[in-house]
Amino acid sequence: MIQGSPELVRRMRWVLLFLLVAFGGLVVRLWQLQVLRGDRYRHETVENVVHERYLPSIRGRILDRNLVPLADNRPAFNIYATPRSFTPIIAAQLRRLLGLSDEEMEQVNARIESGRKRASRQPVLILEDQERARAARVEQERFRLPDVEVRHEPYRYYPQGDLAAHVVGYMSQMTAVELARNEDEGIAPDELVGRYGLEAEKEHVLRGKKGKERYAVDARGHRLDEATARGLIKGDRIVEPVAGYSLVLTLDAQLQKLAEKAVSNHAAAAVAIVEVKTGRVLALVSKPSFDPNVMTGHLTKAEAYRLNNDKRKPFIDKTLRAQYPPGSTYKFVSTIAALEDGLAQEDEEVACTGSYERSGTRFRCTASHGKLDLVEAVQHSCNIYFWTLAERIGIDRMAEVANEYGFGSRTGIGLNGDSPGRVPTREWYEGFTRFKVGYTINSATGQGDVEVTVMQLVMAYAALANGGTLYVPQIVDRVVRADGGTVIPYAPQVKQTISTPPYVVDLWKRGMWKAVNELGGTGYEHARSDVVSIMGKTGTAQVKAKRARKDEPEIKNWHPWVDHAWFAGWAPAEDPEVAIVVLIEHGGSGGKVAGPVARTILEGWWKDVKP
Amino acid sequence: MSYLSGRGFDLPRAQVGVSRWRRFRASVDWPLVLAVLAIAAIGLFNLYSATHGTRHAGKFDQQVRWMFVGGVAFLVATVIDYRAIVRLSWIALAIAVMALIVVDVVGRGAKGSERWIQIGALGGQPSELTKLAVIVVLARIMQETSGASPSWQWIVPRVVAAVVPVVLIALQPDLGTASLLTLVMLTIGFLAMRDLWPMVYTLFLMVLAVPILWETMHAYQKTRVLAFLDPSADPTGSGWHTRQSIFAVGSGKITGKGFQEGTQNQFDFLPEHWTDFPFSVWAEEWGFLGSLVLLGLFAFLIIWILNVAMNARDRMGAVLCIGVAAMTFWHVVVNVAMVLGMAPVVGVTLPFISYGGSSLLTFFLGTGMVASVSLRKHGY
Repeated sequence: MIQGSPELVRRMRWVLLFLLVAFGGLVVRLWQLQVLRGDRYRHETVENVVHERYLPSIRGRILDRNLVPLADNRPAFNIYATPRSFTPIIAAQLRRLLGLSDEEMEQVNARIESGRKRASRQPVLILEDQERARAARVEQERFRLPDVEVRHEPYRYYPQGDLAAHVVGYMSQMTAVELARNEDEGIAPDELVGRYGLEAEKEHVLRGKKGKERYAVDARGHRLDEATARGLIKGDRIVEPVAGYSLVLTLDAQLQKLAEKAVSNHAAAAVAIVEVKTGRVLALVSKPSFDPNVMTGHLTKAEAYRLNNDKRKPFIDKTLRAQYPPGSTYKFVSTIAALEDGLAQEDEEVACTGSYERSGTRFRCTASHGKLDLVEAVQHSCNIYFWTLAERIGIDRMAEVANEYGFGSRTGIGLNGDSPGRVPTREWYEGFTRFKVGYTINSATGQGDVEVTVMQLVMAYAALANGGTLYVPQIVDRVVRADGGTVIPYAPQVKQTISTPPYVVDLWKRGMWKAVNELGGTGYEHARSDVVSIMGKTGTAQVKAKRARKDEPEIKNWHPWVDHAWFAGWAPAEDPEVAIVVLIEHGGSGGKVAGPVARTILEGWWKDVKP
Repeated sequence: MSYLSGRGFDLPRAQVGVSRWRRFRASVDWPLVLAVLAIAAIGLFNLYSATHGTRHAGKFDQQVRWMFVGGVAFLVATVIDYRAIVRLSWIALAIAVMALIVVDVVGRGAKGSERWIQIGALGGQPSELTKLAVIVVLARIMQETSGASPSWQWIVPRVVAAVVPVVLIALQPDLGTASLLTLVMLTIGFLAMRDLWPMVYTLFLMVLAVPILWETMHAYQKTRVLAFLDPSADPTGSGWHTRQSIFAVGSGKITGKGFQEGTQNQFDFLPEHWTDFPFSVWAEEWGFLGSLVLLGLFAFLIIWILNVAMNARDRMGAVLCIGVAAMTFWHVVVNVAMVLGMAPVVGVTLPFISYGGSSLLTFFLGTGMVASVSLRKHGY
């Protein structure tokens, strides 16, 4: 019977062994893949098909007290790409079709790379807030740009442009560190977060909560139909996003506009206006400013360079963060201290010769004022009168009164790095030098080492006006839902009550009145108004002499060697409603430069805003 | 030379009370037929599951038509005496070589290499059927050398002629098929040659030739081999197929995801799974148990063909069967190893299961010839 191949019969054992080894090897491998590692691969195949994406929540708006939007959302075209399929060829196509600049291309590549590291099949935002034309181009050229898509999403914008930019703030991309911290909340690497002002401070209120969608895709990333998806995905497929809450501010956009217009001729300035009886902030100007619409996703390198190298430091809030010597606006401190302790009398006269000598140092007054009483000294802002008082009361007693009025500690507004300022004491000086009486003299007129913020000063003047209540400045009136219902109402908050006797404050007020409304007063020429009665105190704070370096770019109206011009006061004089502080950085004489600004703003407030 | 008399379909006269049909029916190798039918049915079922409701659904109808053609080819090959076919072996080889040359010159490219030939409405890959021609030629050479050792002048031209198709296929370039054909020829040599030493020398020389081959390989071929060695190095490029195939197989676990539930094949994570990766589809949907069943059927088929070889009435029948068994074995092992990430991705089909007419026809004809050998083992 065996005719064919005796060799085969002889070798049959080896053949079967070989077969057994080969098929056995395959079976062992199958066992390894399907039985031992089956769960892992099952998981991988589910991940292949089921993708997750976050549904954006709509960010809350920021509104002024009359519900005028300062920060809002508008629909925008965002372009997304999937890193896995974003080849250099497609990148080149995209660049050519949209005419992208080098800078934009750099950004696109950077985002693709970071996306590739995270999840190469999840679309990442490569270009945000694009023009309609570009979006349309991408839609048209879909076949040339596989897996590049345009999404219509809400985008932050600021309808009033740079109005109250420091208060509202802006948003920018997350840093890697922030990203790592917030990853669980579903924040994409390309996402914007509040970076400045209220956008940053109230991020948690404004943001809301993202929704989540799980959907099924095929290998090309195309979405599969509903029925298939339902079969593949267990559990919830969609968790709806929750919109963020909106902020209603105490700010008045109209007054803010007025104030910004009033300082438009000055290179750098700060204005703060608050309600005397509540501490609510009505306007807060810090100049130079920035356009939050540019800062939020449209900042070019050139613009960033310009802003960062501006000597006037646009990103430092001049009402809250920057500290300045207050000059003569600070004289109420020495006046109150002296009167409270009985170390001064209303009718005591001091002769001003224009200069004052102590310990071999000659201190100069603004003019030779002759013989003055206390009220006249305030009216003319005679330094020598206050130096005389200062020597009687001492630096520590002045510091006590200053602290009572809120200097030397943060106002508590909790925004833009609210500074405490500096109220020097004897102890403070002795920490690093030998104490000299000259320090006391300098402190009395708000010079030397005294530093305050514009906000501190306006709150102190509000306290003078309202009879001794120092408020915490309030900028957010209430937090509201999208439908307008109030979630959190905020009430005025008292920081401390001041116990200065009324006759002491009245004396100082009389001086303020005269300073603005009587001939010879420092503010008479420039701050007096026929529209609304104003009273206030001017200040001209000396700065350490600085000369412009030759290579510095010229900035119009910017003279860093000139004194700071101050005006602090309120209106109407008889029944104060709003307190105002104007600071013109390196503006020169307080009365002449800051006075008219205050007058313009207060007149505008009285005529147009108040009614 | 009686074996070359070629009696063809000349069955003996009917005996009293036993019709020719009943004798034929009783002599047909039913286990072989049933194994082939079972595997082909699994192939159709698998293709249906993977393509029904997708844009590739038309492939199922096409495969059914090819199955039908294959079935007829099997029948014809069974009925025709294999000795007649062997007699025509050199002509078959000549036709195959010509077809290969035509493909090399005018052939249409499929994935960067030329393997396809189109004549009117009919198209196919001659390299598939060439395997059969080579097997038949080897059967003839083996038969003619069964007596005394042949002279060098006689054997060398014949061996060279048998190797020509391998070279032509390698030049297409279709390294997978060329290596596969080489493996089939080596297997025939090792199983059927009386003296094994020439085969040992050949093997030794081939090992030496590997570095030279590597140098002459195309870039994409090198990439594939390298991708096989480290699939995770470039997960979205060359390693994609292997990675996704391993995911598919592994995710089937013990009992599989079920009919039409394989997400890997349904949603195109395994591109072109119907040609080279049908085992992946099967393993995903029917799991470890399903894989065992299919591998078991193949093992049975191969062993059964070897059984036919052992019982063949002459040497050429035996060599024919060894050739078909070797071809089936290497196709299965290489294809499944590739699917399981144990071999580089090469265009080697899974017998009776891969989508495509050339491959189906080759295996139906091959097993048909085995059936012919089996039918005639008792001296028809």
